[in-house]
Amino acid sequence: MKLSVEIKDLNKYFGKFQALKGINLEIGEGEVFAYIGPNGAGKSTTIRVLLGILQASSGQVKVFGQDAWKDAVEVHKRIAYVPGDVNLWPNLTGGEVIDLFVKLRGSHDKALRERLIRDFNLDPTKKCRTYSKGNRQKVALVAAFASNADLYILDEPTSGLDPLMEQVFQECVLEQKNKGKGVFLSSHIMSEVERLCDRVGIIREGQLVEVGTLDDLRHLTSYTMTVATERTIEGLEQMDGVYDIYRSDADIKFQVNTDHMGAVISHLTSFGIKKLESAPPSLEELFMRHYGAPS
Amino acid sequence: MNGYFENTMQLTRFMLRRERVTSTAWIVMLILVVVGLVPGMYAALDATARNEMLGVLANPAMVAMAGPAYAEIHGTFGAFYTNLMFIFTAFTVAIMNIFLVVRHTRADEERGRYEVLRSLPMGRLAGINAAMITAVIINAALAVLMGIFMYLGGLIGYTDMSFSASMLWGVALGATGLFFAALTALFCQLSAITRSVMAYSFVALIFLYLLRAPGDMNPDMEWLALISPLGLVMRTQVFGYDYWWPVWVLLIGAAAITALAYRLNATRDIDQGLIPARPGKAYGGWLLSSAPGLTFRLQRFMVILVVVGMFLLGASYGSVLGEVESFVASNEMYQTLILSPAGIDISVLYGIPVEDAITIMNQLLGAAGFTVVEMFAGFIGGMMALMGLAALIVFTLKAKSEEKDIRTELVLAASVSRTKYLLGFVAIAFVAAVLLQAAMGLGLYVMAVNTLANPADISLGFVMQTSLVYVPALWVMIGVAVLLLGAWPKGTGIVWGYFAYAFFMDLIGSFGIFPEWLGYTTPFGYVPQLPMEDINFVTMGLMTAVAVGLTVLGIFFYNRRDINAVTHSGVSIKPTKILTRPRI
Ligand SMILES: Nc1ncnc2c1ncn2[C@@H]1O[C@H](COP(=O)(O)OP(=O)(O)OP(=O)(O)O)[C@@H](O)[C@H]1O
Ligand SMILES: [Mg+2]
Repeated sequence: MKLSVEIKDLNKYFGKFQALKGINLEIGEGEVFAYIGPNGAGKSTTIRVLLGILQASSGQVKVFGQDAWKDAVEVHKRIAYVPGDVNLWPNLTGGEVIDLFVKLRGSHDKALRERLIRDFNLDPTKKCRTYSKGNRQKVALVAAFASNADLYILDEPTSGLDPLMEQVFQECVLEQKNKGKGVFLSSHIMSEVERLCDRVGIIREGQLVEVGTLDDLRHLTSYTMTVATERTIEGLEQMDGVYDIYRSDADIKFQVNTDHMGAVISHLTSFGIKKLESAPPSLEELFMRHYGAPS
Repeated sequence: MNGYFENTMQLTRFMLRRERVTSTAWIVMLILVVVGLVPGMYAALDATARNEMLGVLANPAMVAMAGPAYAEIHGTFGAFYTNLMFIFTAFTVAIMNIFLVVRHTRADEERGRYEVLRSLPMGRLAGINAAMITAVIINAALAVLMGIFMYLGGLIGYTDMSFSASMLWGVALGATGLFFAALTALFCQLSAITRSVMAYSFVALIFLYLLRAPGDMNPDMEWLALISPLGLVMRTQVFGYDYWWPVWVLLIGAAAITALAYRLNATRDIDQGLIPARPGKAYGGWLLSSAPGLTFRLQRFMVILVVVGMFLLGASYGSVLGEVESFVASNEMYQTLILSPAGIDISVLYGIPVEDAITIMNQLLGAAGFTVVEMFAGFIGGMMALMGLAALIVFTLKAKSEEKDIRTELVLAASVSRTKYLLGFVAIAFVAAVLLQAAMGLGLYVMAVNTLANPADISLGFVMQTSLVYVPALWVMIGVAVLLLGAWPKGTGIVWGYFAYAFFMDLIGSFGIFPEWLGYTTPFGYVPQLPMEDINFVTMGLMTAVAVGLTVLGIFFYNRRDINAVTHSGVSIKPTKILTRPRI
């Protein structure tokens, strides 16, 4: 597989403060990758290093096989970037800004531009100063998707969008995915990540604590089980990998680690199972664990 | 009006807290500079010196700049000091007030801070009311402190400045400040864009300053000076007749404008201006297809404005060229400044009637191959070039303000090299340097040929040389700005310090007080003095090379530093979907 992003032992210091601590990451071309983590974890910093706007303190960062810092201009010909806080020139109109970015990236798909403006329901004749936050973000998104890039680097691109526009955004990402284009998406919106992304990386205090597909991540954690049996279950408390037990009259609810699942189920069978449900953790629950757990 | 002003005082206290540093610094600086000069000036301006100075003050160019020569009537040191300093101090106080009011009204509103305040139990007009009360308090503090220290400064210098007149000096400044505070508050209602409000306010200030010039020069048009606050305030004739009526007129005017601003504020929506935003273009024109094009598009209006301004500045100097002969002939200070460099022994002009002095002067100069008009044009060239330089530095440092507003990264991420990006700003500044100087020369020439008794005294070619000769020096200054921008973006303020230093050296340097080598510490020291010296292409070429070298070095460093690292405000706090703590 060809790689779109290749990060090796990346460290970034701001003065004495270390914002990124030994990040290693590989992303394949055409992959939709989600980059998530608590506020201040280092997502935007990583993205700015990828863009060659910040220089890595040490380590190697390559995009499409080229150095993110030295070959920034070449690299940028193949990528499009949308920041979370979109600051635009107050006295240019949205249409002018879109054209500027599209032309700077050297693409000329007029029909695509018109379609996106329509899809995102944007008035291109308004001055940027008068746009709402969501509308500024739409300007940046239209400019990005209208420029036919190979990799879209999106830093919380939907933090200001309404649910309808969020939908339009997701369609756009899926369309790019189907065309084999890659997306590097940093987001706090878990449903978006669950729907769009192939793989997820979790960053916490500058360290990449987890990378994998959603299924991979689920395997590392626990399922919620709800069981009803004919006889009262005994000895559950003493079993490894079982916790958070909650008994009610009708059933019993508990968490079980994935690798102890088999043992637990065979233990349960001896009490005569009437009902057995197991639910994988939602992405949101997964993140709670990673975000909240001490490092 | 019930509830319109709810919580004004609370808010005023908050604004004053925010002003602790800024306004205190303004007031302290103003008093230090204005009062600090008194004892020294008093020592320098003894009775004979004052007599000579009268000629300078009464010449039309000076009246146009500094107001009527009331010192002629009163003759006291105080009156001289007012004549020299007052209008410029008032101008500075006006600038302080423009910044002050914009900071607490439109700027806060545009940034969304005002909205947060409005969500608190606070009257509809409390915001603007608190801002105006803050302005009243700060101007009152300035007035009283300035008055007291003026008096003390006078005591130390053993001058003739009375306490009541000193207080009038302070109060007149405060009243002018308040007038501009009110005017700015009014402009804040017109446009929703902070930058436009600033532009309106400064254009108004400059317009009102220029408006009074013809009124001060020509008694038939004095009404022009009376309708300008800066003309009006000069009519206090501080340390002379000490009239208080202009102060009352200014305060009534300020109150009326404030009332109008309140009215407009009460009727408009938050975040809106009364001048509606028109729909703009749906498509980007040809300019918006490259990074330098964008840069030009963003600065185009300012460039044109400054070019026109420099043309007018040149024209205003051109208009007094006809007068030059007589006031050089009658004034020793000008003789030192303008005739001595041509190697003329000015003592021969001492004490002879003006008509004879003109004849002798012209003959001596003619023998050396010059005219007085040429000498004067050469003399003011440096001053005018330095005025334009301020704009050139702003054009260059626009690259920094773009970076601060996190827009640079958007352009760089769109496949634009840093070199190309920065060069856009540099190119505009370099070209603007030529345009400004040319516009100035042209303005001067056009006005001069139409007012000179003998138009042959001056030629377009010569005027253009006197102004364009400064271009390489301006480029060097731009180069310094670029170097800082690349190597040490936090320190770009240094270029302003260097600019002030160069200005000072040019102003004071010609008096020959400082050792000669100090003159060579700024690029302007190397500029050939026309018409005595010839244009020296070697020096100019070298200066251009230095300018290019500095720029290249700046770009070199710009390519090697983090973008945005300057302004990061720390951890950003955003609402996230994750609201609860994990259970396990
Ligand atoms: N220029 C800078 N100077 C100093 N510290 C910085 C700078 N830029 C970022 N940081 C710090 O680096 C850390 C990571 O910041 P970053 O913006 O990458 O966080 P993030 O993961 O994008 O957070 P968010 O979810 O809030 O956007 C933070 O602690 C931040 O304060
Ligand atoms: Mg971020």
